Amino acid sequence: MGNKQTIFTDEQLDAYQDCTFFTRKEILRLHGRYHELAPHLVPMDYTEEPDVKLPLALIVNMPELKENPFRNRIVESFSEDGLGNLSFNDFVDMFSVLSEMAPRELKAIYAFKIYDFNVDNYICKEDLEKTLNKLTREELTAEEVNLVCEKSIEEADLDGDNKLSFADFENMIARAPDFLSTFHIRI
Amino acid sequence: MATRGSGNFMRLVSDDSNASTLTEDFGNHQEELPSTLPGEQEQLPSTLPGEQEQLPSALPGEQEQLPSTLPGEQEQLPSALSGEQEQLPSTLPGEQEQLPSTLPGEQEQLPSALPGCHRGLEEELYFSRKWDPNLPLKNLPLSMQEKRKTREQRQQSRHIIDCCESWRRSQQHMRKRLREQVARVIWGLQPWSKTMHKIEGKFGVGVKSYFTFLRYLIYLNLLHCLFIGGLALAPALLFRDKNKPSGLTANESRGALDLLLGTGFVEHSPVFYGFYTPVSIPHGGLCLNTPLLFLAGMAAVLMLSAVMELRRTVIGYKHTWLLGNRYNLHMCYKVFCGWDFCIQDPNSARLKHRLIRNDIRLELQEESFHQRVSQRTFRQRLQLYFLRGILNFLVLTLLAGSFSLIYFATHISNKEKEGWILPLLYEYLPSISITVVNVLLPHLFRRIAAFEDYSLTWQVNITLVRSIFLKLATLGMFLLFLHQKDLTFVKTNQPPEPPAKLNSSKNCWENEFGKEMYKLVVFDFLAGGLNAVLLEYPRKLLVEKYPSCSLVKAIGKQSFLIPFHVLDLVYSQTVTWVGLFYSPLLVHISVIKLLLVFYIKKFVLFHCCVPAQRSFRGSQSSVLFHFTLLLGLLIAVVTLSFNVTMRTSSQDCGPFVNYSSIFNMTSSCVGTLPSPVQRTIHYFTSEAFALPLILAEIVVLTSFVSQGRANRKAIERLKEMLIMCSADKRYLVKKHSAWLRTLKSSVSAGTCEDARPTALKDPSGFQPLLLRSVSTP
Repeated sequence: MGNKQTIFTDEQLDAYQDCTFFTRKEILRLHGRYHELAPHLVPMDYTEEPDVKLPLALIVNMPELKENPFRNRIVESFSEDGLGNLSFNDFVDMFSVLSEMAPRELKAIYAFKIYDFNVDNYICKEDLEKTLNKLTREELTAEEVNLVCEKSIEEADLDGDNKLSFADFENMIARAPDFLSTFHIRI
Repeated sequence: MATRGSGNFMRLVSDDSNASTLTEDFGNHQEELPSTLPGEQEQLPSTLPGEQEQLPSALPGEQEQLPSTLPGEQEQLPSALSGEQEQLPSTLPGEQEQLPSTLPGEQEQLPSALPGCHRGLEEELYFSRKWDPNLPLKNLPLSMQEKRKTREQRQQSRHIIDCCESWRRSQQHMRKRLREQVARVIWGLQPWSKTMHKIEGKFGVGVKSYFTFLRYLIYLNLLHCLFIGGLALAPALLFRDKNKPSGLTANESRGALDLLLGTGFVEHSPVFYGFYTPVSIPHGGLCLNTPLLFLAGMAAVLMLSAVMELRRTVIGYKHTWLLGNRYNLHMCYKVFCGWDFCIQDPNSARLKHRLIRNDIRLELQEESFHQRVSQRTFRQRLQLYFLRGILNFLVLTLLAGSFSLIYFATHISNKEKEGWILPLLYEYLPSISITVVNVLLPHLFRRIAAFEDYSLTWQVNITLVRSIFLKLATLGMFLLFLHQKDLTFVKTNQPPEPPAKLNSSKNCWENEFGKEMYKLVVFDFLAGGLNAVLLEYPRKLLVEKYPSCSLVKAIGKQSFLIPFHVLDLVYSQTVTWVGLFYSPLLVHISVIKLLLVFYIKKFVLFHCCVPAQRSFRGSQSSVLFHFTLLLGLLIAVVTLSFNVTMRTSSQDCGPFVNYSSIFNMTSSCVGTLPSPVQRTIHYFTSEAFALPLILAEIVVLTSFVSQGRANRKAIERLKEMLIMCSADKRYLVKKHSAWLRTLKSSVSAGTCEDARPTALKDPSGFQPLLLRSVSTP
């Protein structure tokens, strides 16, 4: 292409294109978005792979994530340290998995991580309660929350251990007709 | 047996006394297990008595599988245990062939997934897919750094392979990228995608599914236009006899009225059947003539629609209904797939929260409703059935009333020549009555269903079913009455019109039929437009100007009632299909009409409607809508075949004037083909072929049904097996960690190194089976 950009080397852009669902243009645009979150922290020149991480508070204020009740969990799931500090790699990764082109299996893996609040590789009743409260802004009564959690576990738990393992979750998501259309963010 | 068992125990202990990760991982299981495994103190939950001595020999083979309680590998366990079927009779006999097969190298991969590691889950799944070079990098659930490392590894391994192979791979890679880009571009080119996205954001997925259905119908009709244009219209226009008089006289045309009534210049245009005359195409032989092409075009259109509709219905059915309500996961879907991650506007977010809340509350209400139903007394049930009987009778009387209304309208409507309003009213009487009936009755049905004490989804479904039946039955009845009217007309011996008037309405019943369908389509469109302008918009203005008036509050702004709008679309498409043969340009008119309907509905939606309080299960109902479309197609085909076979085509209009019936024309064409082909065609159309065909279909259907039943049973058994295997696993884990603990405590207490299990006792009270058999004299 004609335009010479100096943010990434060609090799880096190729790597990004192979490892994510974005094109070169979109990756450059993503870099622009990442940069405008913290212009003084994020360098314009990424050829040397600087080790810059943006804190959780900056990322969840992005318009795409602002209204999402699970924004904190989403950012935490994609960060290396689990606290929500995203490097540019993690940033691109996050939006790649949440883009429309990502396959169902990949999205199911990350959806499981997002809904697993206590990070024990199971979605137990407490995780479900937290999910439900975030989903309804805590306007259901405790009784209703309890009923819903019990019913969900009863529906999806296949191996009878009263919590959802990844296999249960994936099996349930595989038959969900709306999962792909709801679990994506456009950027 | 005992020594063998104890030998195995020794091996068990010595192998794993150092495996600290295992106990650490299952440390948190220890507290849980006693509480979750009430009755499993003494034996595997699934073992039958009498085979317990086999158990210890089973254990060593399972060491590698115990860590597979970590997520992602639970499906491996049943097969890992498959080698021990004889020892653990937890599986029902004869089911081993149904267990999934493991990937070979997985048992040794003990991932170091610590609960605190955020990438741990991905690593296990990554391990299971590590060596699949075909899985694209994008689909790997790893962090970016690891993906880039894998990429470098793959590229390096590519250097090692010879250059031909690497060239081929890079070509494959480029082709894949190109295909993805092209698909992306084409997908983005779909019309109105931005509008649909906006609609989805503001009003939800259900409303968007209506507009998707509308767009699908537009595509379908465009496809039909191509066929009709190419096979019926073009030959008629190209090869028509220019010398024939067009039959149009000056005092017949009435301007705009003609457009509405289908008379005058419209009658003699390609819109109606009478325009198409039988012309032999030069150099085409006996077979290639316009009637055959006409017939071929119609048949192609109907078959294409049938195939497309069937495909859509079947795909939707497979996805949503096949597993039935036994596996319904509605609550899970609401919780995990409820939130639309695309929402950016705070108002939409608030709305979505409210929708989800209402949905969940409704779902809970349905649960409690089901419980209430199961607790009904006999007397209550009797009362309820009596009430339902009365209400159904009421529905039937309403239907009968509407049919008689249409009957009178059909028979009263005659042709007046003077004036402007009166002829319009008379001609449109059947259409008006059908539309009135179709608009009023569904709302009545909705109110009636509210009294019948069904659960909410069932109320919606039954209203839908009744409305579908109403729309299709009124159309069917109308066609029947038309047919009757024509018959009585023919019998009353009207004097024939002067022969100079070609294609006159009296002698061409096909044109009449086509005109009725044309009028139906036109009126349907007019009604929709007038409804938007005269009802919806003023309602919105009223609500906005006088918000405090109580009457206005009672009416409120409308919400977009998806099922009724979709049924309107289905009805109009059915009318198009029925009238297609007698008014070939009806599909073109229909395309224009659908386009206008899209914009009108969009206007009504954005300016006059509020978002519904309850979300609509779009995916389930789309199957219902496509199925209804299929039913409409069936009606069209039945009517057409009836008309074609039972009624003789009129002698002075249309492409089939020279033949007494359409089949005569096809048979004369078939007669020109070589004799073996003729014989085969005769065989295919005879009864000798139909009967074996029907028998073969019955056999195939039976085999599919029985296979479906067997699969359902297998699903149940596999589910039970899964639960039992998981319970087995927990039991084994518990036992294993108990052994380790007692071993450690015995070692630390300085007791002898003899790890024979004679003195071991599990704190939760269970005793190893082996011991019991050993210790009993």
